[in-house]
Amino acid sequence: MAVSLSSINSFAQIKEAKTATVKIFGNCNMCKATIEQAGNVKKEAHVTWDQNTKMATLTYNSGKTNPDEILKRIALAGYDSESFLAPDDAYAKLPDCCQYDRTLKPAAKSKATHDHHQAVPSANATAANASQLRPVFDGYFSVKDALVKTAAATASAKATEWVAAIRAVEMDKLSTAEHTVWMDVLTDLTANAERISLSKDIAKQREAFAALSTQLYELAKVSQQETTLYYQHCPMYNHGNGANWLSKENTIKNPYYGAQMLACGSVEETIPMH
Amino acid sequence: MNNRKNVPKKMGQAVLLLLCSQSLFAQQVVRYDLYVSDTVVNYAGKEKRAIAVNGQIPMPTLTFTEGDTAEIVVHNQLNESTSLHWHGVFLPNKEDGVPHLTQQPIAPGESYTYRFPIIQNGTHWYHSHSGFQEQIGMYGNFVMKKRDGDKTFRKGIDDLPTVPIMLSEWTNLNPNNINRMLHNANDWAAIKKGATQSYAEAIKEGQFQTKVTNEWKRMLAMDVSDVYYDKILINGENPVELKTVDGQALKGGDRVRLRISNGGASSYFWLRYAGGKITVVASDGNDVEPVEVDRLLIAVSETYDVVVTIPEHGVAYEFLATTEDRTQSASHFIGNGIKQLISPLPPLKYFEGMKMMNEMMKMNGDLDDMGMKMSLNKMDMNVVMYPEITTNIVTLNYAMLKSPHNTALTEDAPVKELKFTLTGNMNRYVWSMDNKILSETDKIPVKKGEILRITIYNNSMMRHPMHLHGFDFRVINDLGENAPLKNVMDIMPMETNIIEFLANEEGDWFFHCHILYHMMAGMNRVFAIGDYQNPYLPDKAKAYNALQMESNMLHFMAQNDFATNGNDGEAMLQNARWSLGTEWRLGYNAMHGYEVETHLGRFIGKMQWFMPFVGFDWRYRKMGMDEHETNLFGQKNEKDTRRAVSLGFMYTLPMLVNFQAEVYHDGIVRLSLMREDIPISKRLRGGFMVNTDLEYMGNLRYIITKNIGIRAHYDSDMGLGAGLLLSY
Repeated sequence: MAVSLSSINSFAQIKEAKTATVKIFGNCNMCKATIEQAGNVKKEAHVTWDQNTKMATLTYNSGKTNPDEILKRIALAGYDSESFLAPDDAYAKLPDCCQYDRTLKPAAKSKATHDHHQAVPSANATAANASQLRPVFDGYFSVKDALVKTAAATASAKATEWVAAIRAVEMDKLSTAEHTVWMDVLTDLTANAERISLSKDIAKQREAFAALSTQLYELAKVSQQETTLYYQHCPMYNHGNGANWLSKENTIKNPYYGAQMLACGSVEETIPMH
Repeated sequence: MNNRKNVPKKMGQAVLLLLCSQSLFAQQVVRYDLYVSDTVVNYAGKEKRAIAVNGQIPMPTLTFTEGDTAEIVVHNQLNESTSLHWHGVFLPNKEDGVPHLTQQPIAPGESYTYRFPIIQNGTHWYHSHSGFQEQIGMYGNFVMKKRDGDKTFRKGIDDLPTVPIMLSEWTNLNPNNINRMLHNANDWAAIKKGATQSYAEAIKEGQFQTKVTNEWKRMLAMDVSDVYYDKILINGENPVELKTVDGQALKGGDRVRLRISNGGASSYFWLRYAGGKITVVASDGNDVEPVEVDRLLIAVSETYDVVVTIPEHGVAYEFLATTEDRTQSASHFIGNGIKQLISPLPPLKYFEGMKMMNEMMKMNGDLDDMGMKMSLNKMDMNVVMYPEITTNIVTLNYAMLKSPHNTALTEDAPVKELKFTLTGNMNRYVWSMDNKILSETDKIPVKKGEILRITIYNNSMMRHPMHLHGFDFRVINDLGENAPLKNVMDIMPMETNIIEFLANEEGDWFFHCHILYHMMAGMNRVFAIGDYQNPYLPDKAKAYNALQMESNMLHFMAQNDFATNGNDGEAMLQNARWSLGTEWRLGYNAMHGYEVETHLGRFIGKMQWFMPFVGFDWRYRKMGMDEHETNLFGQKNEKDTRRAVSLGFMYTLPMLVNFQAEVYHDGIVRLSLMREDIPISKRLRGGFMVNTDLEYMGNLRYIITKNIGIRAHYDSDMGLGAGLLLSY
């Protein structure tokens, strides 16, 4: 009783009231709460959604707003109507029980083309006489990418694979220059890679990563590279002492801060393909 | 298509003929008649004055083809003077439309003809260069098409259906008033935007230390923009639906070219598209190699041509322009059918930005880039404030712009190197170059035929879109002879950028920050190329004085607390360097006393923390409740009536505390410490004062509107009081 009274009250506050009935897609009671909350504006708009019929009654002050404005807010919360399609990310954020069938959205073929766009030009084809060290660099880059995304668990998993790759290097197949540096860095490199694999703390992982990046750089200078590498520098890390890392792209994607300071840094040195 | 805003009201001869072209043998003269008149609009819930041209906001889109001659007749039906500047257009200096620099202002009632050959192509725009007229409607698209058979014609780009887009902002406040409030560090805009960054908010977010450090370094709450706007407009509307181009209904698979100009007076806009990637094909009217991005930030007065695709039939995709501060946006739906939305940008994390500024700001107000060599918008330090993950988002920067042509300048010409440091401070809203405003500098002489290579370093806390009149410059990036051509370059704090151009057209060319309120604060220079005789300006020296005056106008503020124990108030008349201020405390009886202090001072230095002044004090009181005759130094001051002349200075200490030292003609010395406007919570401000006369005061103020507050204070002279504070 109290509920219906209060809803009558809020209706009463809306001046120049008009009503419209529209279909809004959704599933459950949780949807109802979200839809109504997104649509309601005090003294301006009131929404009642029926879970069974999927129909919503919009009551609104016609001098101040219109159904489109209300439906837009609801769509931005994740719910399609006949006027608006929700942004994909808003829909994706809905709880599982609320993920209604998006019958209004044109077939998902657009998704396919989208993916195609983003597909990284696949690191195509291993060179015939691939360097022994290649898996070592590959492992490094996948750990780095995980750190860029501030994903500690991924970094740890990738580092475990990486440690295996480091151990698998057949030293006698390295060139003399490579061999010298490899002997130099092997112990520290393995130790730091293991620290990353064993830790779930992103800060610790980054510390270890900063330490081993210098070793990888030494290695990169003497070893065969199939792509240009960039030795990049973040001046802020470690209280302004700075830290470096290697990347395959010119664009800065900072592994020490991730999204927090993604573009922070500069290219120190370009290591050409050789 | 017709995107004209329906601006009602008495528009006598509105919408007259627009276009009347005559074909000649050699060339085509394209004539437009523009009637400039006052109008009243209601964009954001209130009827407000605006300026319409031919009855519309934005001004009509002017279209030409390279090789035409433009003849534009301006009929000024306002009660004030006006002018029109053709932004990015190559023309003889006398047609450039800067009052007092290239022409006299167009007087009320006057008709004025601009006439110049069209010798380039691309997306440009035009706007008033008089006062704040650009803020209230005087902006429009200016499109120059390639002629048939142009060698640079790009199939699949230049033949697409094309739509001009003019972005702008609307405020219900009078822009003169906005300007005044900015100079007085009025934080009403921050309150409206939820960007006060007060101590209470800092504590709630666990950022108390950050806030203290920020004030210790003498910074006011920082924001990415300073003005609060009530509404964002696309072609004078919001939202806009684009269903047809040139009579053809848009369908799935269609590609559309948008010619976008940012006619906002002070807003940068994020541009994003619900239908996928945005392909940038030109900037500032110059072709660039197509580059695909997820989003771009268009600086004030820049233009970008972008191509978007409509992925599906039966869907209209939202093209969303969001202000950089993310408080407002405008939607442009492209296509027919159900509207596919894009998520709005989440609000900025201001305290993260504050933390970042704390790290970059040295105690002396200089910025420290920590050796990062920032340039070309590649590294956006504001990322720390973005809640969205930017890892996989491609954002346009100037390093990605590549001219399809060789833009290298001749190697034979002599090179003149110039360096500018962009400077300024928020506290008094003074914006300058090398700490000099226009009124403090002469024109910069340049020989005709020289190459001007300009290095610009931004040592201020705000970004500045620097615009050069009359030329395109090369933006030096890593692309060598394919460096892009632009006429606006956005320079972020701590960035260093280099631009260069061949100074081959004589005249006085304006070079300035295009944020209207920065330009009006004096962030301008003039390049005087060659010895140009302007037929419209017989007395150039006098005209330049007028221009200098206009960029350093006086601004006024006043406030008075009508309190139970007396009146407490102040009034100030200031410009960029000088301040004439008077403070009063008027009790309701002689025991409380009456006191007026007047100071005339000059601000010194870039940050303007130091102000020496001469003062005059007058006071009368019957020895009453605060009977200190002797000050801290044992000096006596016995008279009930006191008239004194003083010399002194004010210095802003860390924590924004003002230290004032004054010595009077009779040898009496007074030192005081004071702080006003301590942001306690979103709307609550605190203040205090103590001095060596053993007087003290503390107050709390609650801000209700931009002009009204409630104030409680305790004053050693007048006791406890509460009152209504009115401010202007």
